[in-house]
Amino acid sequence: MRKADEQGFREFAAANAASLRRTAYLFCGDWHTAEDLMQSSLMKMYLAWKRIKDLDNLIAYARKVLLRTWLDEKRRPWRRAEQRDGELPDAADATVDPDTTSAKLWARELVHTALLQVPPRQRAVLVLRYFEDLPVAEVAVAMGCSEGTVKSQTARGLATLRTIVEKLDSSSGRVAS
Amino acid sequence: MSEQEIREGMLLAVWDEPPLDFDPDTLIRRVEQKKSRRRALVAVGVATAVIAVASFSLPGLLPRDRDTQLGADTRTNSSAPPSESVEKKAQRIGDKLAENLGVRMTNLKEIYGSFRPGQFIFPPYSTSAPQRPGDPEFSGYVYLTDGIGPTALRVTVSKTSFNKNTFCSGASMCMETRQQDGSVVTEAEFFHGTTAVQQAEVVRRFESGLFVQISSYAYNPSNGSGQRETVPVQVGVLTQLVTDPGIAWE
Repeated sequence: MRKADEQGFREFAAANAASLRRTAYLFCGDWHTAEDLMQSSLMKMYLAWKRIKDLDNLIAYARKVLLRTWLDEKRRPWRRAEQRDGELPDAADATVDPDTTSAKLWARELVHTALLQVPPRQRAVLVLRYFEDLPVAEVAVAMGCSEGTVKSQTARGLATLRTIVEKLDSSSGRVAS
Repeated sequence: MSEQEIREGMLLAVWDEPPLDFDPDTLIRRVEQKKSRRRALVAVGVATAVIAVASFSLPGLLPRDRDTQLGADTRTNSSAPPSESVEKKAQRIGDKLAENLGVRMTNLKEIYGSFRPGQFIFPPYSTSAPQRPGDPEFSGYVYLTDGIGPTALRVTVSKTSFNKNTFCSGASMCMETRQQDGSVVTEAEFFHGTTAVQQAEVVRRFESGLFVQISSYAYNPSNGSGQRETVPVQVGVLTQLVTDPGIAWE
């Protein structure tokens, strides 16, 4: 690869690595796996950089690669998910506002418990629509499906997520709004 | 739970994001290493495939000489196999002639054939010369030892033209016999002014144009010495040898 192309990739990777890792985290619910997915996606993009460097929306292409990488990873039969059999003790941080912390912990619970129970493709649609704030057309491109499919998957995903959150809230005593 | 709450919930869910220790140069280095490893793997695979193909195809392409292990011939019957080399054919016929002669003349000892492609050089094996267009297909001697001493029969297998008149010129006896397979056998005896046969010759001409000539002399034709009173093998035996159905001349 030419030096100029390599420099272009280096700049793109440095600028978007964090964003891609966050999206990957919402897909898989684990920061380590998210980092692996991000790096694998960037490696694939590096190999194809000569061909894709002139695309109009490179970050959209990167999201597509990330989604494919995650779905491929999930399909692998030898993939072993971590089996958690206990909770790590959380040490209280006196410097933070208890209300804010409570909201953040609830949000983390939302990801770890509720979002991870939504089927993968529906989960991907929800993350791309509501976290990445992408329009339906762009989500359809990233998912490789029609806009109608994106809309139906979004509706089903939301319904599934709401059901799970309601169950969580009723069990924890929190009132769902 | 509204869509706005889901949006905010997802943004809050990544609040405890661990610090990112990402170096694009390290990633590029890893990709390049992977690429070179893949190239090396492909090269090894291609090399292995080439070696495998070569090891299977080369034995079929190499000439199968009888002296090599690949060409070791263990067959005992004298029928001509398809695409037999001249060297092997000469050797096969020489062995068969020696064997048949020993069966027909039990007084002979140390019988063996020695043939080579082209014209047999005199004395045998002393020199080697390239084959010329008019040379026989192969020729040689069947060496034998009788009560008088060692001598030989000359054998020539050729596709050059044969002239009966020339062949019979000076012969005391010259007789032609057609065989069942269409080939013609011509027998001749020469006295050369003596009272005993000095030269006995038999020629068998095949329809394909091939002719086989076996000659017996009152001397050893392989070295020009060993003069004797008459030929060691009479024309009748020579005819039996040349018409033996066990020898595939063609």
